[in-house]
Amino acid sequence: MLSNLVKNGLCRIVGEANCSFSREELLCYSYDATNTLHQPDAVVFPSGPEEVSLILKMANSEGFPVIPRGAGTGFSGGSLPVEGGVVISFERMRKILEIDTENLVAVVEPGVVTWDLQQKAEKLGLFYPPDPSSLKFSTIGGNIAECAGGPRAVKYGVTRDYVLGLEAVLPTGEIINTGVRTAKGVVGYDLTRLLVCSEGTLGIVTKAVLKLLPLPEATVTMLSLFSDMRDAARATSAIIKSRIIPSTLEIMDSVSIKCVEGFAKTGLPDAGALLLIEVDGHRAAVDAEAEAVRKVCLESGAKEFRRAADKDEVKDLWKARRAVSAALYKARPGKINEDIVVPRSRIPELVEGLRGISERYGVLIASFGHAGDGNIHVNIMHDKETQAEAALSAAEDVFRLALSLGGTISGEHGVGLSKARYLDMELKPEAIAAMRKIKEAFDPRGILNPGKIFPTPPGRKAAGSAVVL
Amino acid sequence: MKPLELLKHEIDKCVRCGTCRSTCPTTKVLGVETASPRGRVSLVSAFSKGEIGLSETYLKHLRECTLCGACRTNCPNYVDTVSIFAAARAEAVEKQGVPLAASLAFRGLKDSGGIVGIGLKIASRLQGLLFKDASAGPGLVSRFSLPLVGNGRLVPPLAKTFFLDLPEIKSLSGAGEGNRPRVAFYAGCGVNYLMPWVGTKSIELIKRAGAWVEVPGGQACCGMPAYAMGDLASAREMALKNLEALESSGADFIATSCATCGHGLKAIMPELLSDDPALKLRAEKVASRIRDISELLLNELGFRGKGCESGPKTIVTYHDPCHLGRAQGLREEPRELIKMGKGTVLKEMKHPCLCCGLGGGLMYTNY
Ligand SMILES: Cc1cc2nc3c(=O)[nH]c(=O)nc-3n(C[C@H](O)[C@H](O)[C@H](O)COP(=O)(O)OP(=O)(O)OC[C@H]3O[C@@H](n4cnc5c(N)ncnc54)[C@H](O)[C@@H]3O)c2cc1C
Ligand code: SF4
Ligand code: SF4
Repeated sequence: MLSNLVKNGLCRIVGEANCSFSREELLCYSYDATNTLHQPDAVVFPSGPEEVSLILKMANSEGFPVIPRGAGTGFSGGSLPVEGGVVISFERMRKILEIDTENLVAVVEPGVVTWDLQQKAEKLGLFYPPDPSSLKFSTIGGNIAECAGGPRAVKYGVTRDYVLGLEAVLPTGEIINTGVRTAKGVVGYDLTRLLVCSEGTLGIVTKAVLKLLPLPEATVTMLSLFSDMRDAARATSAIIKSRIIPSTLEIMDSVSIKCVEGFAKTGLPDAGALLLIEVDGHRAAVDAEAEAVRKVCLESGAKEFRRAADKDEVKDLWKARRAVSAALYKARPGKINEDIVVPRSRIPELVEGLRGISERYGVLIASFGHAGDGNIHVNIMHDKETQAEAALSAAEDVFRLALSLGGTISGEHGVGLSKARYLDMELKPEAIAAMRKIKEAFDPRGILNPGKIFPTPPGRKAAGSAVVL
Repeated sequence: MKPLELLKHEIDKCVRCGTCRSTCPTTKVLGVETASPRGRVSLVSAFSKGEIGLSETYLKHLRECTLCGACRTNCPNYVDTVSIFAAARAEAVEKQGVPLAASLAFRGLKDSGGIVGIGLKIASRLQGLLFKDASAGPGLVSRFSLPLVGNGRLVPPLAKTFFLDLPEIKSLSGAGEGNRPRVAFYAGCGVNYLMPWVGTKSIELIKRAGAWVEVPGGQACCGMPAYAMGDLASAREMALKNLEALESSGADFIATSCATCGHGLKAIMPELLSDDPALKLRAEKVASRIRDISELLLNELGFRGKGCESGPKTIVTYHDPCHLGRAQGLREEPRELIKMGKGTVLKEMKHPCLCCGLGGGLMYTNY
């Protein structure tokens, strides 16, 4: 609970119209895409770094948690106020401040929706590649905090690779600028990289300087169908091995395909697995690459291969692909959503291993995702009432499998709440201790997004429910 | 129409993924979660569990929704958001009553026995609803694009003669010689009371496109304003009247030049009558013949602008109404029509599909 002193203070800082304490409003800021509820004590909508700074200073003196929030579409509970406190929503800081077409740089506020930036850049012949499937509704701030990635990561990398510099407010209230707006820069520690992917625990981003690329001249979208995930996995490894770098190489298994069938007007074929592949670049080069991809797919056992007929079909295919994650609930009501990564050559082994886990625990495993970079979303679909335990054990086996193949337990969704308890499966105690020291140095009173990454007791309790989505 | 208590399963289907944030016109404008479909579903969920009551805040967020249905179309889990929101409004009305101004007008529209021959008395009630001090509100402009006259009041200039009373409309004969498509024209309140010329011009265009036109009697308000406010009883009565009026016409198509009426008749009328399977079936049949004027002209009648006069160069821009673009998926057709005008240049505005601020119940509660 916040004291009246704090409430009045918040109103003074952001203005009465920009803070809410009513039960109804708080309710709408108590969840994210993990579909778990933790109610904050206040929601504020600042309009600039100074306001954020004042709030953080007050949080330190009065001792209440502060939780930054973008669109609330996180998959690891990062924006959930597990210990109550004040949610800082960036929904009203959503201006694209500048697109510098000479230096290929964009400057944006954190609440800008990724898609809006991409559309604006595209109009100027420029390109902001990071494309999480949530790109139409998640924010740059959230993307930076989680280091979001998407299908294009296989060729273009993830959010981290496009953040040149940040304006951020430290947990103790100081406003800092990190990084550069130039192509290079090595002055001091790389605080930009430290803040990227820090899940809102080390600082609050209030402005981002992002790198843009020239928009590729042409893109070809292709669909390759397989009767089995194993063939699709083999084709993936074969494409990478053949030295073609597609701009998209997405995989979907039969469960995923069925759940989003209705989203493509052209209909998705009934297949055991599919690959959605794109190549982009100069027109002439693109055609040659598309042809090479076709060959590799057919050699790897594709039973059908085709190029998307027109823009509408491309749009449809992407709509279906982006709907998968949320649509899987049609298969089973319970879902544990993991986003492990393995080296690309080992995807076939991963597919084999998942089959074993599914049989061992009697759960349905639906896999889809960014095959091109080895980041497979493994969804353990189960009956919440009777299979919760089995599903959790299956999830742990999935992590073990990923690690044994030389991979990681999260490629892009972050640790947040849901994976906090598995941190030590991947990281050595010394590494975790070093991270804790960094957190303590930045946030001595532990007021910024507590309970995340390193579980506090309430965080650990919350994780119990957040892990079973 | 299902009551809220039967929609529990539907509410629980929402997994709070947030996809709908990208499709909702009110989220686009206001930006905040409380103005998003996901927020609204969460509020209704909490209300149905008794965690919150019929507070002003709850009702405000619920009524800001235009019921355009874009969230439902794009939800990966097919959550029937529109039914949830409509049922929640209905429950609010049941417990609390419709806001006074709105209820007066709906009663009027309903009791008149259709919009034909509606008396000035009722029209003036409608006027009462539209009259409101613009300076008090957030500065929204009326959905009927009315001029601002003195004191910041928007004065709806009620037509001298309502569309349905115009002699040339009354004397329309419908089908004549020759094998042409037959079109029934549905007027709706905007055309009838405020902009009869839109109706007469529409009819002229339909004729020019080579179809016979008739205007069936017994038409009532499409019911959308009442539906949006949660006055389901009134809305259902209107739906039934329209069903009867439009069903008896044997026309191939039923045309409307109002985006909201089109959405109301296509999607909401069958929903309102869904408590009776036989009525629902009949309503769906009628709904399948409803066409917006733009899709009728372009897609059904193959109108290609023949006979359009050339005029001086005119720059025209186009705003996508929620109930046409989002709800009916008609975005290209109106633009194609505009481009047919000789000398007319279509120049897109910055955000052609941004919420106008007045759909659904927005006008009645915020304005
Ligand atoms: C259907 C669906 C598909 C998805 N697909 C992908 C995908 O393909 N790839 C992927 O990487 N992710 C994906 N996600 C996950 C999610 O969309 C991303 O993690 C996204 O980056 C979150 O952005 P957001 O604006 O919703 O942030 P939120 O969920 O609001 O917050 C996420 C984290 O960022 C912090 N944060 C937010 N703003 C700031 C700020 N200004 N400063 C500091 N910290 C901040 C929060 O505290 C929290 O820890 C998907 C989610 C959904 C629902
Ligand atoms: S898109 Fe559907 S499931 Fe997702 S939050 Fe919106 S209503 Fe809920
Ligand atoms: S029906 Fe339209 S206005 Fe209402 S919540 Fe859905 S998208 Fe938004």
